[in-house]
Amino acid sequence: MLRITNATKTFHPGTPNEVLALQGVDLHLEPGDFLIVIGTNGSGKSTLQNSVAGTFMLDSGRIRLNGHDITRWPEHKRARLIGRVFQNPFSGTAPNMTIAENLALAARRGKPRGLGWALNRETRDRFREQVRALNMGLEDRIDNEIGTLSGGQRQALTLLMASFVKPNLLLLDEHTAALDPKTADQVIHLTKQVVERDRLTTLMVTHSMQQAVHLGNRLIMMHKGRVIHDIRDDEKKRMRVEGLLDRFEEVRRVEALDLPAAELLKAAYI
Amino acid sequence: MNVLISTLTIGLILSLLAFGVYISFRIFNFPDITTEGSITLGAAVAAALILHGSENPSWFTTPWAATLLGGLAGGVAGVATGVLHTRFKIHGLLSGILVMTALYSINLRVMGQSNLSLNDVPTIFSGPQFLAEQLHPAPADGGVNQLPFAGWNLFVNDLAALAFTLLLIAAVGAALYFFFRTNLGTAMRATGDNAQMIRALGSNTNAMLVWGLGLSNALIALAGAIFAQYQKFADVQMGFGMVVLGLASVIIGEALVRSRDLVLTIIGSVMGSLLFRLLVAIALQWGLNPNDLKLITAGFVFIALVLPGFVSKLGKRKVGGLQHA
Ligand SMILES: Nc1ncnc2c1ncn2[C@@H]1O[C@H](COP(=O)(O)OP(=O)(O)OP(=O)(O)O)[C@@H](O)[C@H]1O
Ligand SMILES: [Mg+2]
Repeated sequence: MLRITNATKTFHPGTPNEVLALQGVDLHLEPGDFLIVIGTNGSGKSTLQNSVAGTFMLDSGRIRLNGHDITRWPEHKRARLIGRVFQNPFSGTAPNMTIAENLALAARRGKPRGLGWALNRETRDRFREQVRALNMGLEDRIDNEIGTLSGGQRQALTLLMASFVKPNLLLLDEHTAALDPKTADQVIHLTKQVVERDRLTTLMVTHSMQQAVHLGNRLIMMHKGRVIHDIRDDEKKRMRVEGLLDRFEEVRRVEALDLPAAELLKAAYI
Repeated sequence: MNVLISTLTIGLILSLLAFGVYISFRIFNFPDITTEGSITLGAAVAAALILHGSENPSWFTTPWAATLLGGLAGGVAGVATGVLHTRFKIHGLLSGILVMTALYSINLRVMGQSNLSLNDVPTIFSGPQFLAEQLHPAPADGGVNQLPFAGWNLFVNDLAALAFTLLLIAAVGAALYFFFRTNLGTAMRATGDNAQMIRALGSNTNAMLVWGLGLSNALIALAGAIFAQYQKFADVQMGFGMVVLGLASVIIGEALVRSRDLVLTIIGSVMGSLLFRLLVAIALQWGLNPNDLKLITAGFVFIALVLPGFVSKLGKRKVGGLQHA
C-alpha cells in the first residue's frame, strides 16, 4: 500500500543549522495497517508524514502509494490519495467559512472543482447527518463559521473531512496533542471508529503512551531520523506502557554514552 | 442634484474596483497593486478599440465588445502578476509593481498618446441614453433633455446612465455571488482562508491565486473601461491611487455591513464605494483642494489600518496582506 524506500531529508544543508531529519527510512505498510509512530522530539516523525503528504520533496529515496510512484507529485495531487489531520486544530479547517462549506470542500477532495453549486439541499442534509453522528451537537450549527468552534470540535470535523472521500492513506500527526484529555479521548474514539469502519491504512504520530499501546496493529519508534524499533502484531498486542517507557529509557542510555563520544570526536577533528 | 446623480454613477462604476480589491486583498489576502495599471489598461483598450471603430467598424469595436475586451486585458495582467508570484517566487507586492510598471508603457502603446477623448463616438451608455430619449423625447427646440422631478430638473442622459450602471453592477454583483458559491469559488475563498487545508484537500493553491488575481483585475479593468466611457476620456495617469481608493471603499463597506456573509460583503462593497464618492463630493463642495484628495484618502486608510479600536469595530478582521509581521 505505502512503500517508503531509503528516504532522506536534510534541512538547511551545508549551514550551521543543518538538520538530518530523515536518514534512510524504509517503511512498508500493508492495506489496512494502522501504524503508530512514536519518538523523541525532533526525531523526524512529522518530517516523515510531511514528506509522504508532499509538503516538501525528499532529498532522495522513493515513495510509492497504492501503486503510484508519488515521490515527485505535488502536495495537492497526492491529496487525491491521502487524508490528513494536523496537530494544530486551526490547520485543518477554514475558520471564516461555515461547517457546511468546509465539508463541501472535503467532499470534493481530489475531484475537479467546477462551476457546480458547492452546497444544495441534498448535500446539506447529508452533511447534517454526518455531523450529527459526531455527537457534538453541531448538527444545528452547520451554517456557523468554523472559527467559532472549539479545538476539539474542529479536530473532529477535520477527521470527518479527511475520511469523507475514502483515502488510501490517513495521516494523523499528534492530532489530539492540543486538546484537553477528555476531548482527546473523544477524538481518539472517533479516530478508531473511522479507521475501523473503512479499514483505512493509517499512519498516526502520537506522544501519548496510552494511545500508542491501545491503538494500531504496529508501532515504530523513531530516533534521529531513523526507525529504531518496529513492533508488530502479537508483540504489539502484548505491548504495555512500561515496556514502551523502557525502550525510551534505552534510547536515553545510548544517547548518554554517545554524547561524550561525539564530543571527543568533535574535539579531535577541530 | 445632477451632481449627485453623476456622483452616484461614478460610485457605482467604481464598485467594480471595490469588488476587485475585495477579491485580492480580502479573499486571497494578497496585496495586489496591479490594480493601478489594470484599471488604466481597461480604459485604454476600450477607448482605443472604440476610436479604432469610428474609422474601421468591426464586431470588436462596438462599445460592448470593447468594454469586455478591456476587462479581459486586465484579467491577463492579473494572471501575469499571479504567475510572477507563484511560478517565479517573486514577492507578492513586487510582482504587482513589476506588472503595473510594465503596464504603464503598454497603456501608452495601446492609446498611442497619453490620453484619448471619447467625445464623439458611441459608448455603452449610448444605447440606454437612446432608449431614454424614446421614453422622454428632447424638447423640439433642441434644448437639453430634462425631466422635472420634485422641483429639480434632472438630465435625462444622466438618469439613463445611472439606471444602466445600477443594472450592470447588480448583474455583476449577482454573478460574483453565485460564482463564490460554486465548488471552484468556494475553493478560492478557502485558499485565502487556509491554504494548507485546501492543498490537503487537493486544490492547487497556486492556480487558485493566479485565476483569482485574473478575476480581480478583470473586474478592475472593467471599471476602468466603463469609467472612461462615462467621463468620455481615458488617461494614462487615471490608475494612480486606485488601490488605496478601492481599499477605502472596501473598509467603509465592511464598517457598514459588519458581516462576512457573502451577499452582505458584496452589497457592502457597493455601498462603500458609493459612500466614499459622496464623502469626496461633499468635501469638494466644502472647498477641499482636489489635489489633497489622495493624501486624505491615504490618511483615512492608514487610520483604519492602525487604530485598533477602529479595526475591531470592523468586525475583528485584519486587513489582508498589509500588516506584515
Ligand atoms: N520545515 C523545516 N525546516 C527546517 N527544519 C525543520 C523543518 N521541519 C522539521 N525540521 C527539523 O527537523 C527535525 C525533525 O523534526 P520533526 O518535526 O520531524 O520532528 P518530530 O519527530 O515531529 O518532533 P515533535 O515530536 O517535536 O513533533 C527537527 O530538528 C526540526 O527542527
Ligand atoms: Mg512533530
